[in-house]
Amino acid sequence: MFSKTLPVAAAALVWSGLCASGQGLKIDFPKDSPVSPLTTDVSPPTATARGGANLIEVNTALSLRNSSQKRIRSMTLMVSAQDAAGKGSVSVPTLDAGPGETFSIHIDTRLVRPLTAGSPVVEVSLDGVLFDDLSFYGPDMLHSQRNMIMWELEAQRDRKYFKSLLASRGAEGLRKEMLSSLARQADSSQRGVQMVRGRATNIDAEREAQFAFLDIPESPVEVSGGVARIGASLAGAPRFEVRNRSGRAVQHLEIAWIVKDQQGREFLAASMPADMKLAPNQSSPVAQDAALRFDRPISIQSMSGFVSSVEFADGSQWIPSRSAMDQPGLRQVAAPSPEEQRLSQIYAKKGIQALIDELKRF
Amino acid sequence: MKRHVMETELALYAAGDLPVWRSALVRLRVRLHVRRCRECHGLLEALRTDRQELRRSADDMPANVDWDQLAAEMTANIRVGLAAGECVTPRERKVAAMSWRPVAIAAGLVVLLAGAWWLNIPRTDTEAIGRAIRDMATGGHISAPQEERGPVVGASSAGVVLVENGGRMGIDQGGLEPVMYSVSTQGSASARYVDQDTGQVTITATYVQ
Repeated sequence: MFSKTLPVAAAALVWSGLCASGQGLKIDFPKDSPVSPLTTDVSPPTATARGGANLIEVNTALSLRNSSQKRIRSMTLMVSAQDAAGKGSVSVPTLDAGPGETFSIHIDTRLVRPLTAGSPVVEVSLDGVLFDDLSFYGPDMLHSQRNMIMWELEAQRDRKYFKSLLASRGAEGLRKEMLSSLARQADSSQRGVQMVRGRATNIDAEREAQFAFLDIPESPVEVSGGVARIGASLAGAPRFEVRNRSGRAVQHLEIAWIVKDQQGREFLAASMPADMKLAPNQSSPVAQDAALRFDRPISIQSMSGFVSSVEFADGSQWIPSRSAMDQPGLRQVAAPSPEEQRLSQIYAKKGIQALIDELKRF
Repeated sequence: MKRHVMETELALYAAGDLPVWRSALVRLRVRLHVRRCRECHGLLEALRTDRQELRRSADDMPANVDWDQLAAEMTANIRVGLAAGECVTPRERKVAAMSWRPVAIAAGLVVLLAGAWWLNIPRTDTEAIGRAIRDMATGGHISAPQEERGPVVGASSAGVVLVENGGRMGIDQGGLEPVMYSVSTQGSASARYVDQDTGQVTITATYVQ
């Protein structure tokens, strides 16, 4: 036993030394990156031996400068550990950093690794930067470009909506809309949920339930005939049929999966992305080998869904309009955009005039 | 009025057992009194009769009795009887006296352990243990054991987490609670945070590779 614990303890001591000297954290940005770190003396990670595991905590704020000539709308950093499978990311979707301006991103990551697995170096690298003209820079290892374009389209849609509301109904109309948005956000239900891939056939399902898909007439893709296996606090193996009713080829789509519990509360349980080549008017079945497990006991009464985004073959995207999102049954469960949450927070914290000033910025 | 002789002195006089150092004076006083007092004379005669009766009874006992052996046997029989009586009598339940000191020490240990847990164990770990306990209590209906063998991503009010190959990666925003969280069936979990002062939104995610 002593012969096993000695190398482990030695490794932990060496790792603690590395962390103390800042060598446990590696910030890796390409030389031609449009953003550059301002500070190099970032807080080193801390390592703590906990039982048979090593807890590595990274808690630092990166100060970055836009070194490009375009305005940055969003950015994603990838967090990874050497010798560790899986990756994490930290994204800021509601940026508006002009050339030469600075901004900061807070990274708070915990890694728990078996002591015998050694002590990995935590690496923070750039995954992507999205500019205001929707151009993109970065390796896109996490396929973050798609999400960042969707966030920007949602931001443009919502800013346009709030601006038109301000123009047509004045500050009082904007105030009422903000109060309504804050109330929806406060009333929205959330459930802790876990997702397991490749195990859907093993779930202890009791029955098969049908999806009731909400049709958005303007959606380029129609979805129908959906079923999933559900059990006690479990749902999995969703499958459905999609049809491209647009005139353009589709390569990716996402469907929001909504669950209603025994108390009649609806909440967004998961998103179901699907990569496919779908020509105009073509239909295709989609089946996913994944299972959801809720962290609290829940009896699933019914399920519904709607198409939340579509990516065409040329990389452009479709998202539902504000009017489409206002239809009954969708407004309460559809997630507000990050930009709507940012604007409503500005209103809640600083008042209507600060919000109007913010809307006038761009 | 004449005073009667004490009955104990009369009994000793009848047996001839008055102490030597008192005998002359007491014997004289008792003898003079008995001659004049019919009551005490009668009592003296009764005592002498009883004494003679006892002597006759002693003469009826078997000869050559070993009194020491007899006493030992009687003592042994008494002890055997007492032991047998304990066997057949319902035993009274002894109530252990509870001292306050062990209780105080146990309570202190519980507080110490709870504090150490709260300070050192991440909330996600505590939640995972709680889920495991609930799973055991519900007979495994909440989580199928097979699922734990593969990578798992999770999103909750504690942030996002990836559990894979015996390791765990969790990302949050310094104690902030996410305003939204969700998972994707392609193997990712995400949580959205809003800075209360600036309104800046941060989205954290973990991915199964």
